[in-house]
Amino acid sequence: MLGALAGRLGAAMATAVLSTAAVFLLIRAVPGDVVGEMLGQSAGDRAAEGALRAFFGLDRPLWQQYIGWAGDVLRGDLGESWRQGMPVAGIVGEAFLVTLQIGLVTLVVSLLVGVPLGIVAGVRRGRWPDLVVEAFSLVALSAPVFWTGMVLLIATSTWLGWSPPLIYARPGENLSDNLESIALPVLALGLLQAAAYAQFARQQTAIVMRQDFIRAAIARGLPARVVYGRHLLRNVAIPLVTFAGVILVQILGGVVVVETLFAIPGLGRTLLAAIQARDYPVLQGALLVAVLIALLVNLLVDLLYATIDPRVRGA
Amino acid sequence: MWTPSICRRAALLGTTGLLATHGMPLAQGAALDIYGPADPQARRGGTLTVAIANEPPNLDPFHQAGDARTAVTVLMYQGLMYEHPSGEARPLLAESMQISPDGLTYTFRLRRNVTFHTGQAMTSADVKYSYDYIRDAGNGSPGAADFGTIADITTLDDHTVVIRLSRPNASLPMTLTNRFGSVVPRDTFAAANARARLSQQSVGTGPFRLAEFRPQSHIRMARFPEYWEAGQPHLDAILFSVQPNAASLVQALRNRRADIAQLPRPQDAEQLRDVPGLNIGTAPSLRQNSLDLDGNFAQLRDVRVRQAIALAIDKQAVMQASIGGHGTVLGTTVAAMQDSWGAPLNELATQRPNLDRARALLAEAGHAGGFALDLVSIIGFEWMDPAAVTIAQQLQRVGIRLNIQRVELGVWLNAFRTRNMRFTFNDWGTQPDPHILYYRHFRSPPQGADFRNWANADADRLLDQGMETSDPAARKRIYLDLQKLMSETVPTIMLFSPNLVTVTQSRVRNYAQHPTGWWFGLARAWIAA
Repeated sequence: MLGALAGRLGAAMATAVLSTAAVFLLIRAVPGDVVGEMLGQSAGDRAAEGALRAFFGLDRPLWQQYIGWAGDVLRGDLGESWRQGMPVAGIVGEAFLVTLQIGLVTLVVSLLVGVPLGIVAGVRRGRWPDLVVEAFSLVALSAPVFWTGMVLLIATSTWLGWSPPLIYARPGENLSDNLESIALPVLALGLLQAAAYAQFARQQTAIVMRQDFIRAAIARGLPARVVYGRHLLRNVAIPLVTFAGVILVQILGGVVVVETLFAIPGLGRTLLAAIQARDYPVLQGALLVAVLIALLVNLLVDLLYATIDPRVRGA
Repeated sequence: MWTPSICRRAALLGTTGLLATHGMPLAQGAALDIYGPADPQARRGGTLTVAIANEPPNLDPFHQAGDARTAVTVLMYQGLMYEHPSGEARPLLAESMQISPDGLTYTFRLRRNVTFHTGQAMTSADVKYSYDYIRDAGNGSPGAADFGTIADITTLDDHTVVIRLSRPNASLPMTLTNRFGSVVPRDTFAAANARARLSQQSVGTGPFRLAEFRPQSHIRMARFPEYWEAGQPHLDAILFSVQPNAASLVQALRNRRADIAQLPRPQDAEQLRDVPGLNIGTAPSLRQNSLDLDGNFAQLRDVRVRQAIALAIDKQAVMQASIGGHGTVLGTTVAAMQDSWGAPLNELATQRPNLDRARALLAEAGHAGGFALDLVSIIGFEWMDPAAVTIAQQLQRVGIRLNIQRVELGVWLNAFRTRNMRFTFNDWGTQPDPHILYYRHFRSPPQGADFRNWANADADRLLDQGMETSDPAARKRIYLDLQKLMSETVPTIMLFSPNLVTVTQSRVRNYAQHPTGWWFGLARAWIAA
């Protein structure tokens, strides 16, 4: 168990190093840099341009820039934003909390909606509850998040005369404003993920329902509460937990679109703004955090898996 | 809504006329004729919410050229002069300006009761520090080139600054306005983290100071209680909310979440026309949506090809396709400068479509069978897509087949900076002065950057003369000649200026639009109960 964990950690570290190096090189391969963005059409003065490039260290060779950045990261310093001059750790940390809240609330919503739907559909396979759930999943899974989001925005605004607050409030600042801010993003993402969850739960339920022990339980005349509550749920739970990890990583990917659409200052929007402005330190810091989160979630899922399913423990 | 009226007399007096001889004494405490008209009924108080679609990357008035930055920093930072919509530079932190007869020495008397947001009183040493800082190219300001004619700056006493030039520059007063002419306390940039601090704290003299800047979310400004104009401003606070796109601005206005917004797509006004409680203000702007023709690129090297392209384009149709009727078709200057500095369109060459002449020119140039050409369009500039399709159809009629290439802004800026523009759309603005509009873009290096590789010696001569001539009538004649030259040799085709459209809720009073599109008017606006 410990050996396996160490192996996983090692692989995770290697992934982190490789992906940050790739990001570092890729973003620099894109034409344009922060100096161009700052100068805009006031460019033309070579001396001023050179001075700015030196200020950001862009005049140094690539490998020196990467080693400098990686060294700072290892010392726990993500550097400063090239746009606002604020520490990257603060910018990324704040943005991450915003995204995390949306991610977790969406996960809970999609679990609460998707799992019961999926189980009911799985148990009543081929009958009307199954068909309804299937229809819902098909529609929700086919619609891209930006489209769902836009439709929600237009629908609430034209029919209810309501739109989200202009400015995102943190939960600690103003909870009701915060909930208003995240309502539509959570709904847009949640519909999609609930559908994904329903599909998965339905399929898993169907598999377990065909197993001998369920048939035996039913044959023995056990009450439905026990058959479904104990035998079915316990066995369906394991893949569902694994799937939560997949879903959470998917949600974190989907927030880039949703945050931009709904003006939420989370990790996705920060990332996009950093790419547009060629703000390399923020971009690298934000992606490092994103990569670490994805790795951490996967690691946690593996551990949880072992806790729920005793068969995995020795492996 | 107040629309800037361009007074021909004032404009012809140019940037120097009245001020040079008389100065402009003003009663202490009276609201100046800046930022918009004073409103005797104005009441104090309230927070105004502004929805904006372009977030400023930062709030540093020295190192950031972007219009999004200037639009908001004009409320926190002030220059010695103010770019009055009439086209004149008027005293702001200066009280008066004297120019020596040879046009080389400018003497500024400073206002005495000006306090920085840091609490210090402003003196001539701060002015000297600020302008010495920006003109030193080693400090990396995009504004450095504009200050290039300054030879030295001295202080006669605490309230007198003398700027000596190496050659006359009639647009110096306009250079000292609010884009790059901000005055900050001396040694502001001496601290290691100075640039970062400007995102957390403002150090200017303006009517509002920075309260909070949260990137990707909002900027909050608070009334500066020690502001030098007594009784100004009226608003307690301004909240700039950053929205993702033009459609969200429209929604924010419709749902009353925003008090005011400037529409990035002027044609969106049509969606709001019937919404009760909204006022729609329209004004001509200093921006231009144009086509640039790189004199070093492919067939465009031949002036006849450039003329043929100009003659094949119907600007009115392009504007209709791009923004409906919400703009002004241009000749060779921007809409808000047409009355003061522009050549009448009927006196310019290549302004009206003439397909026969265009085909003849192409045949002369050896392209009787037509040719294929790439047109560069920038992703994110919505007007360019319909314009590109329209222009492709128009050029097809004379045998030029356009391939439309869409590139990212960063890529485009790179090509622009390295003078590799090819055949491209452009979207840019100016301050209301012809030297600032034309010089850097069209003067050959090293004095200018000649981004379009025009390499026109006559233009260089006119641009230098225009810079050095302070007599307004003579100056205007020079820029008319320059514009004729532009229309004949076509380094650029200015298509149209989109209107500035600002929409306000009815409780917002006395907001005046400025032709730059910057938020100056909020310094005079107030909220009705």
